[in-house]
Amino acid sequence: MTIIETAQSPALAAYCAQPIFRPGPDVYITGNPYRRPIGPVGPASGFAVPATLAEFLGPGQLAAGRILCNAYESDMILLPAAGLATAKDDFDLFYGDEIRRLRDTVRPGLERYAFSFLDDAVPAPPVRTLDDLQEYFLAEVGGAGAPADASGVNPAVDPAAPVGGTMRAITECRHPEEAAGLHLIQLALDALTEASAMARNLGGSYGTEQSELFKIFNDEFGYGVYGAKHSTIFKEMLASVGLRTDLHAYWNFYLTSSLIGVNYFNWLTEDHRGMFRYMAAVTYLEWLFAQGFADTGVMLRAVYGDRVDAKYCDEHAHIDVHHGRMTYENLLLGLARAHGEIVIPELVRGIEDTKLLLRLGDEDFRAQIAWADDLAAHTGTRTDARDDASVTTLRPDDPFTTGVHDADLLVEVEDGAVHVHAWATDRPHLLEKGDVLHVPAHRLHGLKAASPRARVATRTVETAERTHDA
Amino acid sequence: MARVIVIDLSRHNTVYVGHDRYFVLHAGGPPLLVRDHCPHRGGPLSLARPTPDGRRLSCPWHGTKVGVSAVRRGCLPMVRSGDEAVVLLPDGTEPVSVLRKEVLANLPAETGPAC
Ligand code: FES
Repeated sequence: MTIIETAQSPALAAYCAQPIFRPGPDVYITGNPYRRPIGPVGPASGFAVPATLAEFLGPGQLAAGRILCNAYESDMILLPAAGLATAKDDFDLFYGDEIRRLRDTVRPGLERYAFSFLDDAVPAPPVRTLDDLQEYFLAEVGGAGAPADASGVNPAVDPAAPVGGTMRAITECRHPEEAAGLHLIQLALDALTEASAMARNLGGSYGTEQSELFKIFNDEFGYGVYGAKHSTIFKEMLASVGLRTDLHAYWNFYLTSSLIGVNYFNWLTEDHRGMFRYMAAVTYLEWLFAQGFADTGVMLRAVYGDRVDAKYCDEHAHIDVHHGRMTYENLLLGLARAHGEIVIPELVRGIEDTKLLLRLGDEDFRAQIAWADDLAAHTGTRTDARDDASVTTLRPDDPFTTGVHDADLLVEVEDGAVHVHAWATDRPHLLEKGDVLHVPAHRLHGLKAASPRARVATRTVETAERTHDA
Repeated sequence: MARVIVIDLSRHNTVYVGHDRYFVLHAGGPPLLVRDHCPHRGGPLSLARPTPDGRRLSCPWHGTKVGVSAVRRGCLPMVRSGDEAVVLLPDGTEPVSVLRKEVLANLPAETGPAC
């Protein structure tokens, strides 16, 4: 794919043009935490106009998500496992003056583009007092299926609870290992740098809440014991099911919603005006994570059997019962007590934002596995499409990247053969000459030549006059 | 072979045996040399505060209330005579050191919801 020229600012164009941000030939990116291809850069507005809720999964949000992830993580220490000598030039570039200057120039505009919809998408409920906040939070977690127990805190995990929703959908896929793998990959986006966003809120001076957050951070970092650090046990889980453990090895397969979700927490901790939203968002998540990770463990064991090392899920199913209580009592209510009604609307916003991002992320993931699981059913020979074909010639070593489109597409192989990568599988879907694949709007995919030369025509589906009023 | 040390309780209240830390707990009755390790996740019980009834320690990490009787079960044998105490250490070759630290577990119980 080529980088589309847009009305983007010179700084943005210069940022995206950095060699470490341009695609290479590999589907998976291993051994180098600085190589982070941005891919096609949209939208035509150059990110000047904030994305709406209807544009949540559009190509603009995907590009903004990748750029922002790069921007935030260039504030973290990342080193290649094989030693710095393996990527010293990229290290110098990634942390260098030029990229940091460009990053600081483009970041505020991209944040406005990416996150403004949150303020408009959900009307904030009228929660004003400490009592309101308590009542509102407990109603929210109750509505999310994790009501407080008799002592008013989050309940112990029920390991035998029947799993539903996305975890069940994964187990019911034709290719459950690929679907479960895609889920772990979405988690890896955050879990391999676990609590790095939280680290930005540890410094400073803000009372007992600071100490409380530190205790949670201490847990995430395994009390200073590397083998107990959450990212370490997450890697062991990945390795047990044959997935790569390098940071962002699966960069090409992060869904738009996953990038926005993890960027949200980096945004709120980078801009300290977001701290109240952050603390509330963490409270809500920690409360729900206990049972959520118990369910994830059940799903992983159902899909992979005994070979999965699900200690990471068990760890969270245990410790997040504590974290749910600690954050609720000491961060959410603690901050409301300490700072009064001026901060309560911000705390509520953090919970409303998180609810929305969780729902949107779930829908994105479900749609992706539903499509990727049966690409053969979406492949045919009919080409009932607009006469707007863009034709590309692909060779096996061309730069590879994944992307999404705003409209449904038909991808037709006019010559040769291509592999369609819709999720991170070593068995990509093969399209041969004459095959036509239907790619629904917003579905992440990448094409790689499976013959020395392949010619591919892409057309917009005739009936796909999308109005973006979802 | 068992190792024995003598500590001066007026000057020392903490013993390190390798990386394991023990502290002198006053919980009614003779002082005890207990392991500074919460059974939940290893939190520092020396920084715990007693519950109002004095029978448990409220761990500072995740709030588990650890019964003094359970803590007592893991204590090191110690015989006191005045300020001098003879302690029987576990077998091993780890280096031993003694020092004085603040021990919150010996402060009066906290009142309020945290307890
Ligand atoms: S370590 Fe003591 S309560 Fe968790």
